[in-house]
Order: sequence, then structure tokens, then C-alpha cells
Amino acid sequence: MLRAMLTFIQVLVSGLAIGCVYGLVALSFVLVYKAAETVSFMQGELLMVGAFAVVALQAAGWPLAAALAGGVAGAALLGAVLERTVLRHVLGQSAMGQPAMGQSHLSAVLLTFGLGLMLRGGVTAAPAASHGMFTLPLPWADEVFRLGPLSLPGGQLLVMAATALVAAALTLFFRYSRSGLALRACAEDARSAALMGVPVARMHTLAWALGAALAALAGVLLAPITFVHLNMGFIALKAFPAAVLGGLTSLPGALAGGVFLGVVEALAGLVLPEGTKDVVPYLLLLAALLLFPAGFGARRTA
Amino acid sequence: MGVPVKPGGADAADISGRNDLPAVAGGARASWRRALAGFALAALALALACLLLGTDYALGQATLVATYAIAGLGVVLIVGQAGQIVLGQGALVALGAYVECLLAAAGWPPLLSLPAAVALGACGGAVASLPARRLGGLYFGMSTLAFALVVEEGLTRWTSLTQGAAGMLVPAFGWGGWRAQTPFAQFVVSLAALALAWMACRRLLRSRLGRAWRAVREDEAAAAACGIDLARAKSAAFILGGGVSAFGGAFYAHWIGFISPEQFGLMLSFELLMLVFLGGVGRLSGALWGALVIVSVPQLIAVARDALPGDGVGSAGLETALFGAVIVAVVLWRLWLPRRGGLR
Repeated sequence: MLRAMLTFIQVLVSGLAIGCVYGLVALSFVLVYKAAETVSFMQGELLMVGAFAVVALQAAGWPLAAALAGGVAGAALLGAVLERTVLRHVLGQSAMGQPAMGQSHLSAVLLTFGLGLMLRGGVTAAPAASHGMFTLPLPWADEVFRLGPLSLPGGQLLVMAATALVAAALTLFFRYSRSGLALRACAEDARSAALMGVPVARMHTLAWALGAALAALAGVLLAPITFVHLNMGFIALKAFPAAVLGGLTSLPGALAGGVFLGVVEALAGLVLPEGTKDVVPYLLLLAALLLFPAGFGARRTA
Repeated sequence: MGVPVKPGGADAADISGRNDLPAVAGGARASWRRALAGFALAALALALACLLLGTDYALGQATLVATYAIAGLGVVLIVGQAGQIVLGQGALVALGAYVECLLAAAGWPPLLSLPAAVALGACGGAVASLPARRLGGLYFGMSTLAFALVVEEGLTRWTSLTQGAAGMLVPAFGWGGWRAQTPFAQFVVSLAALALAWMACRRLLRSRLGRAWRAVREDEAAAAACGIDLARAKSAAFILGGGVSAFGGAFYAHWIGFISPEQFGLMLSFELLMLVFLGGVGRLSGALWGALVIVSVPQLIAVARDALPGDGVGSAGLETALFGAVIVAVVLWRLWLPRRGGLR
């Protein structure tokens, strides 16, 4: 009985940890969706590139903290540059409402997918990166914390703590900082925001940059769980249902959706037969669309 | 009318002048003439390719183009006509391919197995679009994507039926004692299949349903005001589009000769999406032109890679990056192009 209980708690904690990573990636989906009304299919690749950037900087002799900051900032810069150079043109057209709805989504989806392929190809072309698993020497990642009979991997606790920190920072940013408020105003109603003097175009760049930075951060936090490798970006495919579960426009909803999904997936792995675990997020997504079309966390204002 | 191509009935000299497809696609005089010119061009390109690359190779590629075009027609119905978005069409192609493979292996003739493949594809389209049928737009993308990932996982896990990731060998296409073994026979069969699918789509576009789709695409509120049941029209697009794509998948399985779940992953779904985007989403012929590009681009990239100096280690990455660059370039090109017929 006690053994089963312990296993349950450990599975729960590991589900929470991976759920936090889902949540962070889902946050990046939502940030982009709120600004650009499109789903970015390159978030997974940004996550992978960000993690690799940190690994590379660290290998180049930077101290860990500097490499972390450098990698995440680099990803943010990459997101901003992509928005400025490429994405803006396509999404700008869709904002005018000229092509039919489906087609603006179509071009945005294809474009982000293509950019993702380019990022992925770029990393694959680096011989060292294309086949290899890398670790990041994050503090406490390799330790095991004992709580009575319970032993918890430090990496998972680290992920949860870091996610809580990021969530708190984001809350402060969106509630009190000038750009955070401006970003929210844009998401609410870009036209009115522009009339109130908010630089909407710059806010869009900021949203993509923030989204990229969050994805990169999620990549770094994923390192103690799954290592850094070429296909780590596939996690975005699971984070995406999390974002939809949260209503796709709600930041707390996305985080909650990610944690919920991580826990459900971990528990499904415990009780359901092998292999069903991987489809649980998608079945949940289908069920959620069917039963709760407005999302759990979404407040419909319009 | 009917399908003018009789499998095995034509000889090689006939091919370069083949212009039977426009008769099938024909309708209004102007579009008939344009289609004629298009297919004359295609036939010329094929003849040229036969000369340059060898007949067998060129015919094999042309077979692939025709098969991709069939799968693309399904996406044209959903994306181009009904104006919805689909991100998991690869899964419906997979359903068609697996059904055809299993039934052909069990000895069913194509006249029975192909409708079964189409039916399952249509069912798949219905299930994939069901959760989003009242939400529309991007939500269709999400539900079809989720459905596709579930299907891929299912095909991988149901090893007793599909042999999982190891894949399955597909018997050659044919009935009675006849088998489509030579590249020429395969080409003729796939051309006939394309003509059939094309004709069916053509009919659909001119039907009440086709008009309803275009109305929904242009303005949902106005369409609803005209008495069109939006959810029903959208579901119909996904069901019929799924059937057409599965039809293409059935032939794909035969021509490739080996199927495994990863062939039908996210990449194929996006390739199909790019295919119709490239050719112009609003037109059926867009599927054919897009298929031509989709089949030839990887080969051109491979050629370009060989021409570039490199050690071969990172070449796989280079190919991926180049393919991504092509997608990006195509999207930008399409949007900067003054909106001609293609993006109607």
C-alpha cells in the first residue's frame, strides 16, 4: 500500500515537472496567438535551437548563468528578427482582412513550419549537433532529494521552481510594466491600442521575441528531463493541446493546461497499457474541442 | 464521357500527345482551352523528361506526381473551396494506403478495395473534423492535427494488423491475372485515377454543395443568411476531401510498394498543404502543378546539394533547411504576387 502510494506520488511529481515544461511552451503558443492570431509551428524548433545555443555557449567556456542568459536572449532576438523580416509581411496582410480567413491562416501556418524546418536543418547541418545527446550542468539537477521514504529527483524540482518563478515574473510583467500592459492592450483590441498611442508593430515583435524566449527557456528546463537533442522540439506537439485546453488566449489557462496534461499523461502511463500515454494529449484535445468549445480557462469577452 | 485512358491500351508514342484529360475537365470554353494548353505543356514536359532522364524514371516520377495530385485534390476541396484549414490530411492518405494494402493482400479486387479505402478516408475526415465543426477556421487545423497524431500512433501500435513501425509490403496493383508492374502501366493507371478523381471533384464544384462551399469561404454570415448550414457544409468538405485523399493514398501504397506510419506523418500533411498553396488553392489544376513541384523539389535539392562543396555529414540538415527555405519563399512569393486567379 505504502509502496503504491510512493510510486503514485513520484509519478505525480514527474508528471508535474514535464507538465511545467508543457505549460511554458503552451505559454509561448498563447503569447504568439494573442498577438498574431495564428499558431506558430516553429515553437518546438525554437525550443531546440535555444537549448542547443546554451549548450554551445557553455561548451565555448561561458559560465552557466551567462550561457543561459545568452541562449535565451539569442532565441528572443531570433524571434524578433524573424518577425521583423518575414512574418510581419504575411501576418500584416491577414490583419487587413483581405484574403479569406482560411488562407491567411494557411500562409501563416506554412510560413512558420518552413521557418522551423530551416532552423532544424541549420542545427542538423552542424555535425556535432546532429547525433548526440547533451546535458546541461544545471544546479541540483543530478541530486536526489529525500523526504522520508520519498526520493525526488532534483531536476524535476528545479523545473517546477523555475516555472513558478517564470510565471510570477510574467504576471508582474503583464500587470505592472508599461510594455506588458501595452501588449495586453494590443491583444485585446489592436485598433484601439494604436489609437491610444501603443506602438502595435513593436508590440508584435515583442510578443514573438517573448514567445521565442519562453520556448528556449522551456528547452533549457527540459534538459535535465530528456537531454538536449535534435528531436526535443517534438514536445511542442504535446504542448499545443495544452494551449488549446487553456483556451488559447489565456496565459494562466495555458500554464494550467500544461500542468494538467503532464499529470494526466503521467497517470495514464501508470494505469493504461503501453503506448496509450502518447495519444492522451490529443484525445483530450479532441474531447475538449467537442465538449468545451470555449476552453476551460478562457473568458469570452468579445 | 467516361475515363478515356484504357490501362495498357495505349502505346508510348501516344503519350506525348495525350490530351484526354482536358476533355474530362472541360466545361466552359475558355477554361477548356486553358486546360488543353496546360496539359499539352505537361505532356511536353513529360516527353522532355523521358528524353533527359530515361523513360522509366520519368514515368515513375510522373506516376508520383499524379498520385500526389489526387491526394492534393482532397485538400483543394477543404482549403481552396470551403476555406477551412486542415493540418492532418496525411493521416487520411495513410488510412487509404493501409486499407488498400490490407485488402489487396487479402485478395480483394481494386473495384472493391478502392471504394473501401475511400470510405474509410471519408469516415476519417468526418471524425477529424467533428470536434471543430461549430468552431471552424483554425480549430479545424487543431482537431485534424490531433486526429492525425492519434492515427499515426495507432498505426504504429496496432502491430498485429499493420506490423507497426516495421512497415508492410504492398502487393502490386491489378486484378485477375493482370498486374501493373511496368512504369508505363503504373503511369496509365494513376493517370486514369487522377482523371476519375478530377471528374468527381469537378462535378462537386458545380453542384449545390460546391456553391455552398464557396459561399462559406467568402462570407460565413452571408452564407448562413442564404440558408446554408455552415457546420454541414464544412463537414461535407472534410468528408469528401478525406475520401479523395484516401483514394490517392491507395495508389501511393501500390506505387511505393512499402508503407510504414512515418511516411504519413506531419511532413506529408504539410507537403499536401504546400502543394495546394503552391498551385493556387482555389483551382483543381493547382493540385497538379503543386504536385509537380512537390515531387521535383526534393530531387532538385539533392542535385543542388551534390553541386555544393560539402563533406556530406551535414547534408541531411542542408536538405531540410533548403526545403524549409523553399516553403518560406513560396509563401512570400504567393503573397507578394498580385492576387491573380490563384488566390481567389
